[in-house]
Amino acid sequence: MRTLGEYIRLYFIIEAQYIKARMQYRADFIISSIGMLFTSLATLGVFWVILQSVPDVAGWSLMEMVFIYAFYMIAISPMQILFDHIWQLRFHVQEGTFLKYYFRPLNMMFYYMSEMFDLKGLIQLVMGIALLIYSSIQLQVDWTILKFVLLLITLFSAALVQIAIIVAASCAAFWVVESYPVLGLAWKLREFAPYPMSIFDGAFRFTFTFLIPIGFVAFYPSQLFLRPEEVHWFVYLSPIIGVGLFSLAYWIWAKGVNSYTGTGS
Amino acid sequence: MSLIHIENLNKHFKVLNRREGLSGAFRDLFSGNYKTVEAVSGISFDIEAGEIVGYIGPNGAGKSTTIKMMTGILQPTSGVIEVNGLVPYYNRIRQAQTMGVVFGQRTQLWWDLPVIESFKILREIYKVDEKIFNQQMEMFNDLVGLKALHMQQVRTLSLGQRMLCDIAASFLHNPKVVFLDEPTIGLDISVKAKIRSLIKKLNTEHKTTIILTTHDLGDVEALCTRIIIIDKGKILYDGDIKKVNALFGAYRTLKLQVDNFNESTLQVLQEKMTSHFGTDKNFTVSQTEEFWTDITFDQALTPLSDVLNFVMKNFSVLDVRIVEISMENVVQKVYDGALG
Repeated sequence: MRTLGEYIRLYFIIEAQYIKARMQYRADFIISSIGMLFTSLATLGVFWVILQSVPDVAGWSLMEMVFIYAFYMIAISPMQILFDHIWQLRFHVQEGTFLKYYFRPLNMMFYYMSEMFDLKGLIQLVMGIALLIYSSIQLQVDWTILKFVLLLITLFSAALVQIAIIVAASCAAFWVVESYPVLGLAWKLREFAPYPMSIFDGAFRFTFTFLIPIGFVAFYPSQLFLRPEEVHWFVYLSPIIGVGLFSLAYWIWAKGVNSYTGTGS
Repeated sequence: MSLIHIENLNKHFKVLNRREGLSGAFRDLFSGNYKTVEAVSGISFDIEAGEIVGYIGPNGAGKSTTIKMMTGILQPTSGVIEVNGLVPYYNRIRQAQTMGVVFGQRTQLWWDLPVIESFKILREIYKVDEKIFNQQMEMFNDLVGLKALHMQQVRTLSLGQRMLCDIAASFLHNPKVVFLDEPTIGLDISVKAKIRSLIKKLNTEHKTTIILTTHDLGDVEALCTRIIIIDKGKILYDGDIKKVNALFGAYRTLKLQVDNFNESTLQVLQEKMTSHFGTDKNFTVSQTEEFWTDITFDQALTPLSDVLNFVMKNFSVLDVRIVEISMENVVQKVYDGALG
């Protein structure tokens, strides 16, 4: 068996090569990065437009919304950067090319995901960090070492939640031929993540909190820094939710991998 | 102890009995109407270290299913399977360290990377010692001139070049056993020959066991000492290639396009041939593609020129091709008792 350290080393070796190869398609990289930039700016634009006509969104100001959105951008980056290959899973499964991932002495999820690295996700990550700094200055968030550690923990948990939802949804490909709707829905749902959960009514809020907990991708953890006095008890469970959900998603993946029979050759 | 031990191995798949049409598709959603397909049923064999075994059979015979069980992808329904003393399905990662696999035309190298970088990544994955790595790369270069391809991106290689690289890569970590699935499919004769000689040399270099599945009897002839023929999930023949070669080596299939082809053509042809040449000459007349009539015969018994002459004289022939006996014909002949 390999240690975590060996896996990380191997990951860097593969990705260094991969990035080098991608750099040959500079135009592709630049255009998709610009696209990413504008998508993020457009969402921020929507916030700004909304808050031009109403004074606040369920009691949350523009700058607070920016903070939540920045948190969201950082939290979904690991999924975009490290798990980008998940989008191809259904093609590999259908065409039988998924078989090759069984033949190396590696953890299969690791080997599979290591084949892609989404560079433009780094742009999003950097933007997210910049916006988080900017908004917390504007909001005069009082950063202490403890709070900073809390930020790292909650970001890590939030990233796990997002990864788990997408991985679990993509695993539908192992059992269903037309599996895209499942993944498409899971991907669409993340768009609700950067909004205050209080704008959703009962059923939706319950779903986003307890069933498909996208509330834990940005809104709930952000509350800890913006309005600690309003935080619900379950928000403190977010590390457990993150690790638990990821374990569940990994279990589903392992089930799928073990039941896969491939196509005839 | 043998390297691969398989005893009474079975793999059954449950498949939904599908109904026709849209309404059938809807009803299938809630159907529990499954049938069992016996992809592999009750096969047994042992393979020793250093052997090259041809594992052959027609499409859907159960070849891939067996290979998938040997490589740990599929769990057998029942029976014993041990590779290198381990059960593959439960020891996938450990097993993979001592195996090499090349699956048809699907490359396992990194598509966007130069060939040499793929090999370097493989060195890390299999923890191949620097010194051994260099030795192996030297050997690959001696065998097929791999250095010339080092800096080329995998995506820019021709199919033949890619196959050479893929096969070399599967031997990089000195595996105990390598599975080669259709290594020469879609390649022209000269590249086929190159690949065959590479496989042969790699086998002798480190006494690596090789399991070769193929449709091409030429591959088997050039490489294997032992052949296992499988059809409908069962082993038809397991033994020396010489016996099979002696039987089929001289067989040829004459493909004809006959003018005014109709339903009775096959029968008429068969009857005329038999009455002219006698009943003991093993002629088989069949049809495998539209408009083409196949006559399979043994050159050792009847010279090709005689057959050709006879056909030309008695039929108005539009087009002719001569091919080596196909896998399907071999299997049919084995069924008919050719290997006794």
